[in-house]
Amino acid sequence: MKLARTEKKLSQQELADLCDVTRQTIGLIEKGKYNPTLNLCIRIARTLDKTLNDLFWDEGNE
Amino acid sequence: MKATNKNPFSKLDERNKQIAGKIMVVMYLLTILAMQGIILYRQLVLGQEWNDFRDLAILMTFNSLFLVSALLYYGAVQVRNLKLKSVLLIYFVLIFLGSLFTYAKYNLFRDDGLTWDQLWDKFVLIYIITGIILGFFILFSLLGRRRMEKEIE
Repeated sequence: MKLARTEKKLSQQELADLCDVTRQTIGLIEKGKYNPTLNLCIRIARTLDKTLNDLFWDEGNE
Repeated sequence: MKATNKNPFSKLDERNKQIAGKIMVVMYLLTILAMQGIILYRQLVLGQEWNDFRDLAILMTFNSLFLVSALLYYGAVQVRNLKLKSVLLIYFVLIFLGSLFTYAKYNLFRDDGLTWDQLWDKFVLIYIITGIILGFFILFSLLGRRRMEKEIE
């Protein structure tokens, strides 16, 4: 998710504002320390023009 | 893209709400336990009568009543099947515990125990109140189930 955000040239705060959450929430999601709801995942994916698979699917743990 | 959030206190996202909810639940449970402890202490140690702590007792009763009803109504506690047998079993367990507590309160913790007639009057009250409370819970679990079925439809 961090990669997709930097590709879009967004800071954590900007992404947070666009998704209507706090910067800390975005930071914790990127660190893998908070599991967002599906609604928030969809909002983030739409904002970053990515699919849920692109952002949240961990190929290594399949 | 520009940041739009100006007021940091106006926003409460899902994570904040989740944390706040967890903390509130813990604090609520601690408050309820403390209040229950105070009521038991007043009854059993200080030997106070119901009139001496009725404000606390009423508060606790309504609190517990609405807490369990809300849990049942909003589906936090799921009741799959409401069988008469299990309802009666719960009722008898509750009145047994209530009667036991009342007996212990008056005839074990106090020197001036109650006679069987006086105790019976209190037991009848326990049977009626327990029945009303259980009926209340059954009603809310049925309403909750109906609400959920409607939402799914």
